[in-house]
Amino acid sequence: MTAPLLELRDVKKHFPVEAGMFGARASVRAVDGVSLAVAPGETFALVGESGCGKTTIAKLVLLLEPLTAGSILFDGTDLATATAAQRKAYRRQAQAVFQDPYSSLNPRLKIGTIIAEPILAHQRPGRAALAARIAELLDIVGLPAGAAELYPHEFSGGQRQRIAIARGLAINPRFMVLDEPISALDVSIRAQVLNLLADIQQRFGLTYLIIAHDLALVEHFSTTVAVMYLGAIVETGPTEAVFANPAHPYTRALLASVPRPDPDHRPEAGVIHGEIASALAPPPGCKFHPRCPLATDRCRHDVPAVTQLSTGPGTTPHWAACHLIGT
Amino acid sequence: MQEPPKLLRVENLQTHIFLRRGVVRAVDGIDLELAAGETLGIIGESGSGKTMTCLSLLRLLPKAGGRIVAGRVLLDGTDLTQVPEAEMARDWRGRRIAMVSQDPLTALNPVFTIGDQVGGPLRYHHLANGRAAVRKAVTAVLRRVRIPSAETRLDDYPHQFSGGMRQRAVIGMAIASAPRLLIADEPTSNLDVTIQVQMIELFRDIQRETGVGIILITHDLGVAASLCDRIAVMYAGRIVETGPVRAIYRNPAHPYTQALLAAIPHLGQKRTRLLAIPGQPPSLIDPPAGCRFAARCAHATPRCTEAYPPDVTVASGHVAACWLAQAGERTAAA
Repeated sequence: MTAPLLELRDVKKHFPVEAGMFGARASVRAVDGVSLAVAPGETFALVGESGCGKTTIAKLVLLLEPLTAGSILFDGTDLATATAAQRKAYRRQAQAVFQDPYSSLNPRLKIGTIIAEPILAHQRPGRAALAARIAELLDIVGLPAGAAELYPHEFSGGQRQRIAIARGLAINPRFMVLDEPISALDVSIRAQVLNLLADIQQRFGLTYLIIAHDLALVEHFSTTVAVMYLGAIVETGPTEAVFANPAHPYTRALLASVPRPDPDHRPEAGVIHGEIASALAPPPGCKFHPRCPLATDRCRHDVPAVTQLSTGPGTTPHWAACHLIGT
Repeated sequence: MQEPPKLLRVENLQTHIFLRRGVVRAVDGIDLELAAGETLGIIGESGSGKTMTCLSLLRLLPKAGGRIVAGRVLLDGTDLTQVPEAEMARDWRGRRIAMVSQDPLTALNPVFTIGDQVGGPLRYHHLANGRAAVRKAVTAVLRRVRIPSAETRLDDYPHQFSGGMRQRAVIGMAIASAPRLLIADEPTSNLDVTIQVQMIELFRDIQRETGVGIILITHDLGVAASLCDRIAVMYAGRIVETGPVRAIYRNPAHPYTQALLAAIPHLGQKRTRLLAIPGQPPSLIDPPAGCRFAARCAHATPRCTEAYPPDVTVASGHVAACWLAQAGERTAAA
């Protein structure tokens, strides 16, 4: 495997909260020891239910929240110990597209100003060069140059997401975090935006970290996937391998639960019970054991170690953290 | 031979919203039918009129400007568009037609207990009188929506319930009065898949136990396929295709339905390019005269933009409003 562009090493993020009547301190362990490596040019997907910590990871990677422990490396540089100049250089190379294009664009700014903001934060182009760059970006995302003079409310959801993508591309990043980029859009618009994201990835050699809950989208769009549950990765590997041979009972339950656009397919109820536990007091042992249909005594007490599954040389390893693999 | 009478029959319903900048033809002449014990899915994008359709059935249109301008809504033979408001509130809304809304957090009042709120429709419609009787009835309702330890949990406040349990309570509120028709507006779209599958199961169980007719509004083609017997596809205020769920998914006749099914990624199909539908839906203030999908349709002919297509019966119970649909068979390309 080539050197990763982005690497997370045992990353933890705990949010302190006041619990109980006397202000006893506790903490929500939103991310609790996550390690992953994103190779250049790939699309790495984080999937899981709400509360699993996937959005917290996106925020940590974008330096919007400080880490509690662990380290994040971009192109070999540890961002925690990086100099201010290195961090600024990283911010230029890492951009984001968020879920809701209705709240991610300032309603008081013209589209041209919105797209110019990241450029002006990092460069000092002349007026003409800036206007030309904005027109070029609008063209890349399939909007007319005249859009620069309009305001966000004059666009539909799909067009707004295109504007958000243009803003993300403005300073030629190498890496983009896509946080649920299509889930706020209408079904008939989603494919347009997804295809656009695939096109610009190829055209500009971008690396994507996509946060999503839609498994069909993840299978379609990503090269590597990590399934998260209560702040930890329970299974990860090449998307094809994980979807073809899911090893962790949680991954299997997720796949079995997806309602499919096929009237003869019934999602399996009963493979998974209850709901995700609180990250304030995660269950001991395997965090998934209270919902796992296969849980044994060992699952209730011991944290499962990582089991490597079939891998070839030079490929992304496929592993899962479950006591029951191979038993 | 006479067909069994339908639970619900909607005929040429037109609901317009009168704004200063024009009249929005939100629902522009739709027909629907639903039998008791049956689930009808209304699929459509935001702005296609699916929520307005349901608010029209309940007569809960926005006071400022929303009005049913034509058509009939027959529930058990009574035309609800003609019922006086006092009778609508007393005998119909929340009694024989109930609604489950999308967001369980906003549907529940944070300062009242779950029991108070689920008991609300029982007290309002005098289905249970007196503290003890209401409490007993609420416990039964919460059991029916599979809330564990119902007899104690009814004293909890909404914040003590998890997301899935809140949605169960909201469904309980809707079915407490044993309605004939249940309208569920995107009831699972804010839920995680593992909870979603539990809700789909719950709707199916409730229907089996009570025989309630369900209208499910959704944009999720997967949820609709899992739960519905029949599907109506809405586009820009009109129903463009309706039919049994298998026919709609296996042999979609309208190019819009075909395009929708091709535009979503399917599990098990890796990294094929999705067929995007170009453009976006038309404005409903001054909709085009012809087929409203024509501007985005890959098969459109000049005729499509000139006149609105007729309803074509492509198979028994399967109707598409498309100039290209052939009676008894489906359009060539998908």
